[in-house]
Amino acid sequence: MGALVIVIPLALFFVLGLVATLIFGWVIPALGGDPNAWYGALIKTAFILLGFVLPLASVLTWMERKQSALMQDRIGPNRASVGGVRAFGLMHFVADALKMLFKEDFVPAKANKFLFGLAPVLAIAPVLITFAIIPWGGGVCPGRLSETLTDETLATCLETGARFQVVHLEVGLLFYFAIASLAVYGTTLAGWASYNKFSLLGGLRASSQMMSYEVTMGMAILGAFLVYGSLEPATIVMAQGSNPLHWGIVTQPLGFILFFVAAIAETKRTPFDLPEGEPELIGYFVEYSGMRFGMFFLAEFMEVIFTAAVVATVFFGGWQLPGLHAGGFLGTAMPHWLVASLGFVVFAFKTFVLCWFQLMIRWTLPRFRPDQLMRLGWKQLLPLSIANILITAAVVLALMPTGGK
Amino acid sequence: MTPPETQLPAAPATVTLTIDGRQVTVQKGTNVLEAARAQGTDISYFCYHPGLSSPAVCRQCLVEVAGQPKLVPSCYTPVADNMVVITASERVLTARRQMLEFTLVNHPVDCPICDKAGECTLQKLYMEWDGHPSRSDVNKVHKPKVVDLGPTIVLDAERCILCTRCIRVCDEVAHQHQLTMAFRGDHEILTTAPGQVLDNPYSLNTVDVCPVGALTSKDFRFKMRAWELYTVPSVCPGCATGCNVEIHHAQGQAWRLVPRPNPDINKFWMCDEGRLTYKELTRDRVVGARLGDDPAPLEKAINYAAERIEQVRQEGGTVAVVLGAQATNEDLYLAARVAIDVLSARVFIAGRPAVPDRVDEILRSADVNPNSAGAKIFGRAAAGGIPELERALQNGELSLVWAIGEDLPLSEEAFAALDDIEMIVQASHEDELTAGADVVLPAAMWAEVDGTFTNVQGLVQRIRRALDAPGGAKPHWELTAAIARRLGVSVDEPNVRALFNEMKSKVPEMAGAEWGRPQPLVQLRFANSRG
Amino acid sequence: MAIGVKVVARPSGIAQDMYVSAVVKGLGVTMRHFFENLFGKKHIVTVQYPEERAVYPKRYRGLHRLMTRDDGSVRCVACMCCPTACPAHCITIVAEETGNGAEKRPAIFEIDELRCVVCGLCVEACPCDAIRMDTGIHAPPVEHRGDAVLGKLDLLAHTGKSEAHQGGLGGEWRGAPPVRTG
Ligand code: SF4
Ligand code: SF4
Ligand code: SF4
Ligand code: SF4
Ligand code: FES
Repeated sequence: MGALVIVIPLALFFVLGLVATLIFGWVIPALGGDPNAWYGALIKTAFILLGFVLPLASVLTWMERKQSALMQDRIGPNRASVGGVRAFGLMHFVADALKMLFKEDFVPAKANKFLFGLAPVLAIAPVLITFAIIPWGGGVCPGRLSETLTDETLATCLETGARFQVVHLEVGLLFYFAIASLAVYGTTLAGWASYNKFSLLGGLRASSQMMSYEVTMGMAILGAFLVYGSLEPATIVMAQGSNPLHWGIVTQPLGFILFFVAAIAETKRTPFDLPEGEPELIGYFVEYSGMRFGMFFLAEFMEVIFTAAVVATVFFGGWQLPGLHAGGFLGTAMPHWLVASLGFVVFAFKTFVLCWFQLMIRWTLPRFRPDQLMRLGWKQLLPLSIANILITAAVVLALMPTGGK
Repeated sequence: MTPPETQLPAAPATVTLTIDGRQVTVQKGTNVLEAARAQGTDISYFCYHPGLSSPAVCRQCLVEVAGQPKLVPSCYTPVADNMVVITASERVLTARRQMLEFTLVNHPVDCPICDKAGECTLQKLYMEWDGHPSRSDVNKVHKPKVVDLGPTIVLDAERCILCTRCIRVCDEVAHQHQLTMAFRGDHEILTTAPGQVLDNPYSLNTVDVCPVGALTSKDFRFKMRAWELYTVPSVCPGCATGCNVEIHHAQGQAWRLVPRPNPDINKFWMCDEGRLTYKELTRDRVVGARLGDDPAPLEKAINYAAERIEQVRQEGGTVAVVLGAQATNEDLYLAARVAIDVLSARVFIAGRPAVPDRVDEILRSADVNPNSAGAKIFGRAAAGGIPELERALQNGELSLVWAIGEDLPLSEEAFAALDDIEMIVQASHEDELTAGADVVLPAAMWAEVDGTFTNVQGLVQRIRRALDAPGGAKPHWELTAAIARRLGVSVDEPNVRALFNEMKSKVPEMAGAEWGRPQPLVQLRFANSRG
Repeated sequence: MAIGVKVVARPSGIAQDMYVSAVVKGLGVTMRHFFENLFGKKHIVTVQYPEERAVYPKRYRGLHRLMTRDDGSVRCVACMCCPTACPAHCITIVAEETGNGAEKRPAIFEIDELRCVVCGLCVEACPCDAIRMDTGIHAPPVEHRGDAVLGKLDLLAHTGKSEAHQGGLGGEWRGAPPVRTG
């Protein structure tokens, strides 16, 4: 099965990218529509969430178990079958989903029913919203699918063309910080509304942890803003270019590590899973069952995907690949539809690998103690991130004495 | 053979001797074994018992006395001035080990089925002294097993180590010669004396003193293992003597009562009836409050009782409060305080009817209530007895009777008269009285409460809570306090200890009473052998 | 340090505090396993239970059984040693008189196999070789908790005669002659 784990995702991503390219580059223009109108945004949202995020989140639940099994010399889930086809246990997430849907939806007698119901929604909604700013490709120039474009023509075309991004916001990543910090309401309210001491403790831990690490997260990414002179993800990707030496990981190595650590802490997964530490308090969702629990679960996986997507965008050149340009790959000329689709493949694959890496971390490291967590957040990551900003600013100033591009 | 103690001269003189190199001063006439114990050295023994004479038959207590060529039994040797005793020389230990091996030659070692296991002196000494497999390769002598000695006791002659303690208990405590030894050598067995069965009011003490599992109580046999039991010190509720006992309980249930030594009252003993009083804890208990025949929440029943009392008072009727002699001092003190000082009620004293042919010169009293003396104290001068209560009832002088305890041995006419008036009873057992009462409140029994009893000598003795009361039953004083509070009486005492302190300060007869220290709950598993 | 306390120096320093080297080392190990198991040689130890079965060791502790005497009566004398030893408090025994020479036997003997932690202490504790765990039977899954409570008859259903002799040497496992330790 070895090679399949790379070939199959690549193939699936290509199909998805092709679908997006065709919809925005051919179907909508052919119907006389404007890909950037409100219905275009709606279709983009549907595409990124239903076509990419939700399936990937589901697959991640399977991947997590399979991957941890391999890391621990086990086989992992392999029993769920549809008509005898087991497919390496891939059907387990379907079984899980069915189970969650059919399980009793239990509400504790003394819980605050309204907030108890609201909390999972509050946990999942911010993650879904933040995907709006993620550019999953370079965009497509409507009506010119079969031509071979140059970088310049594409850039001009994209002024009016279809961006592969639900909204093109100048505040970009600030919007992400604003929305993502709302997720803490979900966990804290879940803990409080359950009327359970353990869930309350879990909720409190979650709120303190998320607030602490949000600071570092924002500070860590500031360096990248300075270097690329923008907050807008698509612009940052363009600024990085296709040369890996200009990517965030090279220009901002410390920023990358700090951001990645803080972002993992935001997802509340091991080694930062104190809010749900099973041996001591199980977590803010201890009273949840059925699909409400499933929503917390799903939110967690989507946060993983989102973290991967942001990191891919800001530090790994987004949809760019060395050698891939609007006209083709290296010297080979390619039609526009193929280049546009490949952009998505590159982006999706980077996201996929970063998800895998997060799972790797989650199954390698043990949980922090609360005091270690706070010390790491406030005394180590935060000063480092501030130092990172100062140094970056100094270097940027030195290289560009005129004050930026 | 008379025990050395009885030969004591009237004027106590002391003797100083050296035991294991340490000087110890004891009363003249003490034996070496006790002297050593006073000094902190335990000497092993089987046949000696501090409450009995010393026949010195087991030779498990041998010690070396300087100047004596042979080892001497310490249980039988009185101390003398300047005596030098060695309790643990190699010679002594070898002798004791060999005696133990000798004792074990024919022993069946059926500890798994033996009721004594866990509190057996033989087991204990074997573990301490010997601890190796038998060296004997001849067949053991078999003797009768499961021998019915009488109504209460079963003998296993194979386990008997022929210490004669049981014989001496019958002879010296019960003053009845019902047991004896028969045959000789390794065929010697314990048996009943000719024409006798082991049947006397103190027979079960033989089971306690038996250092092994040769004598087992039919009542306790195979019910519980000794090591599973927890012990709580208390006082027997069986009669006015107030023998000190240990309640042995496990799994929320009492399994037996055994005597707790008290030189002023019961020495080392108690009577057979007293031992069985624990059965009352589970017989016909009142579970839950009732109004007439209908179960009611306790709260409601208490409210109703208070309403009735209040109404009777307003209508100018007479309330009678009956102090039951089964209740504790604290219960009765509070009831009397409310009755006399607040309600101006008429007070009567009741209890179980006396059993005159029970009385003997040993322990048993005719009065089968544990706290008659206390009831008399708290009832004060005004209190009447059962005859006065009967008269008052038949003359229709009373409008409401509030009884602390259900024991009201009334004549039939008087009982019939109860039907016409209100009857509130705080009862632990169902009987005729509770069947006809208007309000029945569930009351906890002696083993379920903390408090004190006053015995016939006027000694105030502490009883301790060992078990949870069944069916939400509450101590009498709590029920009384609840009713009293609803009558507007202030009862501030938060717990029975506070009530005791107040009683002690207010009632001169109680001035000498002691509450005692808290006793940790001890599991017999960790209490070593009681043999 | 009078009682021989060994003071272990706590690793400190910035590298330690940042956890970086530990994280890298840890990831190295897990990644090695992951990639080897994915692409190369497999270390996987899983036994696919219903299809494959591990061979039980000789002294595998399975469901309990009660032994019988030569005449077929239960060997247990209700001495309560096993419930006393049982760390899970899962054995319930109520004793009764047999009315014959055996004197005592269990009227009720129940083991809650759900609570049992399969430690084997009951077997060790038994002075009569009356209880064993050598049936080789897995505790089966049950629909209701009560079904996991094995009564005297269930335990006797797996019975076998004990080879040990009461009150003396017997059974090869006791082997060596008694050693005097006193
Ligand atoms: S008397 Fe003691 S040593 Fe003898 S069988 Fe009973 S418990 Fe065991
Ligand atoms: S029955 Fe018990 S007390 Fe009586 S002689 Fe035998 S061992 Fe001693
Ligand atoms: S195996 Fe252990 S836990 Fe199970 S019944 Fe025996 S003693 Fe108890
Ligand atoms: S230890 Fe053995 S003899 Fe004793 S109760 Fe348990 S099974 Fe029966
Ligand atoms: S105790 Fe002294 S001889 Fe038995």
